[in-house]
Amino acid sequence: MATRSATIPEVVPEPRRAHLAKARTDANFAYMLLAPTAFLITVLVGYPFVRALWLSFHKKLLGAQDAPWIGLANYGVLLHDPKFWGSVKNVFIFTGGSVAIKLVLGTLIALILNEALPWRGLWRSIVLLPYAMPTLVSVLIWKWMYNDTAGVLNYLLQQTHIRDSPLLWLSDPGSAMGAVIAVNVWRGFPFFVITLLAGLQAVPQDLYEAAKVDGAGVWSRFWKVTFPGILPVMAVVTLFSTILTFNDFSIIWVLTKGGPGNSTDVLSTLTYKIAIPGLELGKGVAVSVLMLPILVLLIVLLNRFINRREELA
Amino acid sequence: MTAPPIARRATVAAPAVKRSIVPYRLQRTLLRVAGIALLAVVLIAALFPVYFMGITAFHPPSLSFARTPTLFSTDLTLKAFRDLFRQYPFMLWMRNTLVVAGFSTVLSVAFATFAAYSLSRLRFKGRGFASSAVFLVYLFPSTLLFIPIFILCSDLHLLDQLPALIAVYLTFSIPFSVWMLKAYFLNIPMELEDAALVDGATRWQCMTRVVLPLATPGIAAASIYCFTLSWNEYLYAFTLLSDGEKFTLAPGMTKLIFGDVFLWGMIMAGGLLMSVPILLLYFCAQRFLVAGLTAGAVKG
Repeated sequence: MATRSATIPEVVPEPRRAHLAKARTDANFAYMLLAPTAFLITVLVGYPFVRALWLSFHKKLLGAQDAPWIGLANYGVLLHDPKFWGSVKNVFIFTGGSVAIKLVLGTLIALILNEALPWRGLWRSIVLLPYAMPTLVSVLIWKWMYNDTAGVLNYLLQQTHIRDSPLLWLSDPGSAMGAVIAVNVWRGFPFFVITLLAGLQAVPQDLYEAAKVDGAGVWSRFWKVTFPGILPVMAVVTLFSTILTFNDFSIIWVLTKGGPGNSTDVLSTLTYKIAIPGLELGKGVAVSVLMLPILVLLIVLLNRFINRREELA
Repeated sequence: MTAPPIARRATVAAPAVKRSIVPYRLQRTLLRVAGIALLAVVLIAALFPVYFMGITAFHPPSLSFARTPTLFSTDLTLKAFRDLFRQYPFMLWMRNTLVVAGFSTVLSVAFATFAAYSLSRLRFKGRGFASSAVFLVYLFPSTLLFIPIFILCSDLHLLDQLPALIAVYLTFSIPFSVWMLKAYFLNIPMELEDAALVDGATRWQCMTRVVLPLATPGIAAASIYCFTLSWNEYLYAFTLLSDGEKFTLAPGMTKLIFGDVFLWGMIMAGGLLMSVPILLLYFCAQRFLVAGLTAGAVKG
């Protein structure tokens, strides 16, 4: 008895001490592994970001050596510029329109491809094609198809007598935004299809069986079983796509350069226009800085969402 | 995968329980027909632009004097490709792109693998912050960063330098790979590592002998995505390179645009050459890629 009570107090702390020591070496090892990435992100992203904020308070012209401090003047000018507010409106139309169509189309195609179809693998690969193509190349193809005089879309419209005169897809302010959204949808909907398909396959099959036993029709089965089952995936994909569409530069830049007029200018193209052809680097950066509040909000939201799901898993 | 048996059972069970306005079987058939029709339209829409690129590249508009576009032709030629190689250093652009994409991929996946292991497996102070920071940086707009980066490169005389472009590409490829690999590592059961630890393995051995071999598909997927991102990158290449000899494919392609109709053959030929390597990668590794892409979004 005595020997036992003597040994117990010595034995108990030992694993705890070992555990603490292990935790400490684990932490050191973790910092070591993280160090190169942390260093590179600080140097390559952190520093330029601080520099960007700093720049937005200066009148920095392309090629000029001195850049006088002008405080909030860049922001003041922008907030009184109808072009800036036009771009804000456009970026919401572009993002909202693109994401809504991608979500609906992506969900429908995912539902169809989740059914037993002959050659389903082949159809999936074809749906993936627009996503796999280099963006710049697909945008150039669309620019060629949209061509006013020799473009294939106008040719098809006229051959089928849907229209008599060519549609000025990209050079008419009335249709340019729609044409730009169509390209974004074409490129982006496969992302929704792939992720939602995986989401559909994770919906427990016994729920469908139960619904069937209860006599639920196709419609109520979708809203009562499928939709709640894929809702978390939908939310993540939609937020992702919203952020990436909000940031998109190359689709609009290559198709319309923000034109005609400013009818398709979004914040990213306005940044570029003011900074590079317009030579006003400081003011250009200020446009992008003004994107940040919404963007950071969306990213934080998405991050929370993903983290919560990771904890649940 | 498991849809057919359930569908068969449904047609037997459902009508007996509840009579909806439209009989269940008819409802299903109608939906199926509508679904297949929609799928057909979408498949055509997905394929047609790519087909049209091909037909324009092999039958450039300059061949026919008609003002109508060619939808189908058996009169195929390599003229557009020959012109492209003769008038522009296209192969050099391709080589530059390969160098930039290759180096930035290898570097970022190597660093990101360590970082992702650390963020997904080890407990330490600041982990949540580091994880969120990486995510924030991943989705950060390059339109905000390209201006200070342009000024920095210009001050340091790094414009038109491919190594500088490689470093700049790490700004998006590292956070992207960390994020993707982290999600992938989280799917590998912790128990495997715990077992190895009990057997006396060090953390380093756990990582290199247990987790990394199992994560090979994820690492492959991250590498392919990184390569694709760098291969396709447009804004940085466009602003940081101005010397035609140093161009990568993306700024090179835009050099072909003069708004003149007759260049479309060459642009589509170039586009085809730019797409083929990426498409091959995608379709050879499609399974990994889908698994990698959905690891983050679908888990749980």
